[in-house]
Amino acid sequence: MKISKIWSTVMYLPFFICFVLFWAIPVFYGIYISLHEWSLFGGNGGFVGLENYITVLSGDNMFSVSFYRGLENTLVFVGFSVIPLVLVSLGLALLVNNIPKKLKVFFRTTFFISYAVSVTAVSAIFKWLFTGNGGYINNVLNTLNIAPLNWLNEQPYAWITILIATVWWTIGYNMILFINALDEVDYNLYEAAGLDGANWWKKFRYVTFPSIKGVFIFVLMTTIIASFNLYGQTLLITAGGPQQSTQSLIMVIQQVVFSQNNLGIGTTMAVIMGVIMMVITGAQYWYAYRKD
Amino acid sequence: MKKVLLSTLLVGSLFLAACGNGSGGGNANETEDGKVQITFLNGFTGGDGGYMKKITDGFNESQDEYLVEEVQDKDHYTKFKTGDYDLVVIHANNLETYKQDGMIQDINPLMEQAGLSIGDFHEAAENLVTFDDGTYGIPLDIHPLTAFYNKQLSPEAPENYEDLVALTEELQSQDPNLYAAGVPNAGLVEYYIMTAAIQNNIELLDGNHLNFAQEELADALMVYHDMVWKDNISPAGLGLDGEFQAFMKQVEEGNTGVQTAVALTGPWYYQAVSETYGEDLGITSMPQIGDEPGVYGGSHTIALPSSVTDEKEMEAISAFVEYMYQPENLANWAESGQAPLHTATLDLIAEDPEKYPLANENAKQFDTVTGAPQVYQFGEQMRYMIENVFSMLVTEENLTKEDLMAELQIATDNAQQIADTAPEQ
Repeated sequence: MKISKIWSTVMYLPFFICFVLFWAIPVFYGIYISLHEWSLFGGNGGFVGLENYITVLSGDNMFSVSFYRGLENTLVFVGFSVIPLVLVSLGLALLVNNIPKKLKVFFRTTFFISYAVSVTAVSAIFKWLFTGNGGYINNVLNTLNIAPLNWLNEQPYAWITILIATVWWTIGYNMILFINALDEVDYNLYEAAGLDGANWWKKFRYVTFPSIKGVFIFVLMTTIIASFNLYGQTLLITAGGPQQSTQSLIMVIQQVVFSQNNLGIGTTMAVIMGVIMMVITGAQYWYAYRKD
Repeated sequence: MKKVLLSTLLVGSLFLAACGNGSGGGNANETEDGKVQITFLNGFTGGDGGYMKKITDGFNESQDEYLVEEVQDKDHYTKFKTGDYDLVVIHANNLETYKQDGMIQDINPLMEQAGLSIGDFHEAAENLVTFDDGTYGIPLDIHPLTAFYNKQLSPEAPENYEDLVALTEELQSQDPNLYAAGVPNAGLVEYYIMTAAIQNNIELLDGNHLNFAQEELADALMVYHDMVWKDNISPAGLGLDGEFQAFMKQVEEGNTGVQTAVALTGPWYYQAVSETYGEDLGITSMPQIGDEPGVYGGSHTIALPSSVTDEKEMEAISAFVEYMYQPENLANWAESGQAPLHTATLDLIAEDPEKYPLANENAKQFDTVTGAPQVYQFGEQMRYMIENVFSMLVTEENLTKEDLMAELQIATDNAQQIADTAPEQ
């Protein structure tokens, strides 16, 4: 069937309009703002070229100090959260995939339910569990004769609390993706590997992993991006503390824009953050597929 | 191809038209039954929100010309920055910022229209809302740091630092998990920092910014360090709003919780503490922990956005303000625990101390209460002190005055940089 040029263009239009309105214009307008002195109230104060970028990157003023602190905190979280978020969900998917079918549906749903809970509710629950003064976890530790910990106000416990909350909250989503990928693996390959004498590890290494590699890389990249966007958990569980050590870059940008009204500097930080995320995920993508 | 381009433009313009709110700038909104409608934005999402709603509902029922739509939002400042409202509650320490940013206008003409003048308020109000070029807020209340105490643990109200030391010694002899008062590492710490400065007569305002790098301030703040690490008045490790949580805690066997007899906290917790302690709840002024009595207080004011110019809207706003500031109506606000600055309302609530215990108690602090210095972005100038310095004070046992001075210098440098972004230099 031949589709006319006009009709195909009309079919394409809704996507194109949405792409321009919700992606292209915000991105290019953001870059435009970052090249200007721009107040949330006062509006455009004039073209400043790369001055905002120099201010943010120079390291000798409060904007720059808060940017680097936010970036460092975010990288710390990305560094220690991505491995458990990906590997624990993969392990869980392998476990769920190997149980009887009736139970599989139950556990798949159970683990996924936590993903449907809002960050506000998750944060409230974990804040209550880990609160230092008579919190649930400390009471459990106390019954085991272990000294209570100041979970929310002392490092590294504050990060550990945020990590546990994040893993509990998001693990179901990655697990579902892995389960779907595992369902697609050809069962004959396992049989053949078994006949060749492969143990469970060799089956995983030479059959399972190569078969789900595409999904693994997708999960890895989306998890890195999600960890970069850390905001709700640190805002609601630790409020960025103790001493700004869990203040993520998004929190810093939010403060600069909405509390300090400095849209120019805030947008500059957001653009730099976007570039850093693109470089990291791009490098990771290149590394994963370099042999292909 | 022209048809395609035309349809693209058509779809685009329809979309943009749908994005518009359809209201003309500066014109009064009217309801279907012809009432002039105004929007009143505030951040009263706690226990006090219902009492303000009572005033708004009372006004709406009292006449048929105007309609006030009250919007209560926890993050009402962001809403104000990004939306269009006719009347907004602004804390006194933010008036300078919103004035300089051109977001609010002189409210004197509106006050006159509503039959109000600054003389109708307690004298503490004038410094909070009056600037060189006009009045930028109608004073609503002052909410000073308030001391709630549990009469079962502390039969007498503590009046000074020595009382707190004696109280904690007595409580510790009963149970090692009982303390006199809690010092949190986050939350209300702005009140703690400013109260230390006020009780030691330290002037923080230095030109256009706050100067924290003062030896006297370091000494004053070290008192909080001593309360935790030297005199054992407060348990260590209390986090966000820990002063309130420790006060509400009940020490139980097998539980790791610590409990305090006194909470130096905000009056907005009144509903919660009064429900928990009932007759055992005592309310008193901030104990003297510095050289002289004094306390820091935040303050709500009613401000008029610059965007309001329409005469009909002005009339509606003035009618609402006039209604709100009738003592019998504003008494609702006092019932929530807030201490109103309106003198006639203060007189009215003084006649019934049992109905308005907290408002009356806090009104006693008006003579010694001091608000924030009028600087651009006060909260941002305080941020490093709130998020870093105070937390360090109460969490680091071995903190020295030299360490603290170095941090106070960073806080001052940050405050200076924030002040330098002000439109009016």
